Amino acid sequence: MIGYIIRRLIVALIVTIGIAAITFAGLHYLQPSPAATVLGTKAQPAAIAAWNKQHGYDRPEAAQFVSYIGHLARGDFGYSYKLSQSVAALFKENAGRSAYLSGAALVLALLIAIPLGIYQAVKRNTIADYTLSAVNLTLYSMPSFFLGIILIQFFALDWHIFPPGVSSSITTTWGAITHPLQLALPILTLTFITVASFSRYMRSSALDNLGQDYIRLARAKGLSERAVLARHLLRNACLPMITLTGLSIPSLVAGNLLIEVLFNYPGLGLLFYNALGNADYNILLGYTILGGVLTVVGNLIADIAITAADPRIRLN
Amino acid sequence: MTDPTTRGVIEGIIPGDSPLGSPGAPEGGEVQVVSSGWRLALREFSENRLALISLLILVLFILFSFIGPLVYHSNQSVTNPLITDLAPGSGHPLGTDQNGFDELGRMMLGGQSALEIGFLAAAIATVIGTLYGALAGLVGGLLDGIMMRFVDILLSIPFLIAVLIIATKYSGTVITLSLVLGVFSWLVPARLVRGEVLTLRVRDFVLAARVMGAGQSRLVFRHLIPNALSVVIVNVTFQVADAILALAYLGFLGFGLQYPATSWGDMLGNAQNNVASGYWWLVYPVGACLVLVVLASNVIGDALRDSLDVRLRRR
Repeated sequence: MIGYIIRRLIVALIVTIGIAAITFAGLHYLQPSPAATVLGTKAQPAAIAAWNKQHGYDRPEAAQFVSYIGHLARGDFGYSYKLSQSVAALFKENAGRSAYLSGAALVLALLIAIPLGIYQAVKRNTIADYTLSAVNLTLYSMPSFFLGIILIQFFALDWHIFPPGVSSSITTTWGAITHPLQLALPILTLTFITVASFSRYMRSSALDNLGQDYIRLARAKGLSERAVLARHLLRNACLPMITLTGLSIPSLVAGNLLIEVLFNYPGLGLLFYNALGNADYNILLGYTILGGVLTVVGNLIADIAITAADPRIRLN
Repeated sequence: MTDPTTRGVIEGIIPGDSPLGSPGAPEGGEVQVVSSGWRLALREFSENRLALISLLILVLFILFSFIGPLVYHSNQSVTNPLITDLAPGSGHPLGTDQNGFDELGRMMLGGQSALEIGFLAAAIATVIGTLYGALAGLVGGLLDGIMMRFVDILLSIPFLIAVLIIATKYSGTVITLSLVLGVFSWLVPARLVRGEVLTLRVRDFVLAARVMGAGQSRLVFRHLIPNALSVVIVNVTFQVADAILALAYLGFLGFGLQYPATSWGDMLGNAQNNVASGYWWLVYPVGACLVLVVLASNVIGDALRDSLDVRLRRR
């Protein structure tokens, strides 16, 4: 197990460097230097050249990349010339709020999807199952922002239960946590979208397990159906949820771009979105690399967690 | 709507439903009509009512988007500040938008770009992915390892983020957006095809073709790719759905097609203000189109996977 983890970590490190290299090369191709953004579009070529020289953007790409990686290893994502702050500080400031939104939605989604999937499996091929599957597939095919708009229509505009967007007075993670009404709609939207994909897996996993001998044995020894489901089926059928949770890690930290933009919620996703409009080079670069690294880490954690939870799975 | 991954389970493992009782099992002395795998798959597909309805929906949308404008004429080129945000009524069955364009006519235009980009992006992704995957699977060894690590790396970079960054730099036309979406979507088909090729290339018919002196390209194009086709076909359907969704995201975030061209996502870009102003006709009809087309593609994909499973089971 330890050997496996070490090997995976080495591969993860190589993949990470690969992600950084490809992102760096791609962004450099699109925009060789942030000079134009900093100095304005009317800047003289000489001024741009001088700025590039001063900030090291006149060096060969490979040299720039090596120094970028060096800084990255120390947690330094460079400087946002638009927001006049270091990108690392911006990430740190916004990550908490993003994590709260995605984390709350993830927990709620698991709490809904697990019983829902088991219920559908137990009631397989009944009207209830078909209806729930149809709703799930519809939500699964729906752009998250459109679901958000529908929820805004009903819960905010028609029924006045929740506010339609997140108030701009919410500036800290603590503020977000202590104002649950403000975040109700973004969390709800994200929860529904997540339930739609999770419960599909949960249903098929529960169905798989319902056909297994250990369930038949549990029934044969006279356990109540409730005990069979709660004590035997639940734990085994939940295994795919571990993998799915691991795969949610990128959005857990890096935030959900569409939901944050729709509700104007100040998280990492919104930071990235605004950087797109400003061509804020170092934020775009840092955020993309962050997303890639988190994907690698999420996969790794999911694989390790699933082996820990299910000893039948052997990793090699 | 049976979940594709569990259909086999329901039929096979549930107590009291013996797999031996399945209709395909030969009985002693009877003559079996052997039909080809593809025909079996087609029959299975045509028995899936939901899939047929979805296919019909897709066809209707193609007619609506491409034939519709020939029948229903509306002004989509000159803005008219006198008739902005009109509610549905005579002359404008679905009202007008903030530029005074007729909303129904605009939905047809949006449908055109959604379908064009959806299919074009899926085609680009499938062609690149199939060739790359087939090559990697065939050469094997170190080169295969390097090629697939490259896929791993690209697959780790979040799709929407990468696509957004590139979409900010290139003007949004049908061709550029299809290229951007397609070039970032070939990774999954590449993996699928490589997996298929790895299992196929040691099969007897491939060895036989090799012994008979077939060259690499003949092996790939005449033997490996056609046999990996069912996996590819299923994936194409999901690729179309994903590309249409991704296009909607780009449009909603303001990086879609360049005005005056439009997509459904572009039309929804202002949706928040529109619902707040009570202009429901600018939001729900477009959103419904989007959901219906993606839903139909997903259902067709699920049904294809089920029916092609039948074909694979016979192999």
